[in-house]
Amino acid sequence: MEKALWYLLTATRGGENRVRIIRTLSDQPLNANRLADELDVGYKTIRHHLDVLESHGVVEAGGEKYGQLYFLTDQFEHSRDTFEQITKHLE
Amino acid sequence: MGTQIMAASVLSGVNIVFLAALAAVWVRNYRTFRTSLVLGLLAFAVVMLVENAFALYFLFTMQSLYSGDPHVQQAVLVLRALQLLALTFLTYVTMR
Repeated sequence: MEKALWYLLTATRGGENRVRIIRTLSDQPLNANRLADELDVGYKTIRHHLDVLESHGVVEAGGEKYGQLYFLTDQFEHSRDTFEQITKHLE
Repeated sequence: MGTQIMAASVLSGVNIVFLAALAAVWVRNYRTFRTSLVLGLLAFAVVMLVENAFALYFLFTMQSLYSGDPHVQQAVLVLRALQLLALTFLTYVTMR
């Protein structure tokens, strides 16, 4: 998980937006639509990032199919120190 | 210029485009995250850029070296193509 976080967040083009998604979901679980509004990023882009984060076990979807909420996984919470270290220079 | 050497030059040109795109992403991310991982990736891209610039330079200035032997031309082309394939994978996962 730690290695994946480093690569996903710092080495790729969408890394900064993925950090913003994780930070927003730290405050409260949201669905893709709300995330798109909150971060002022296109819905398709948010969907793409959520799929990438989900496939790496960072987020998981809960509830019913449409408008389902995204949560941070327990696995991610175990690696939260790494996340804080990665983002410590970010505003 | 032989066809194979011309093709190898074009592939080096495409490698340079990919590496410039990767370097642009990593420069931007380094400004954001300031981590040594990104700095390492950036150094990798810059060295590979220089390598491809030299390759292009040699392909243009040392044609007499390549022109005598079609096997040499083929080997150069294969090496350029394999590097392009490697960079294609890296660019794909980085741009996602």
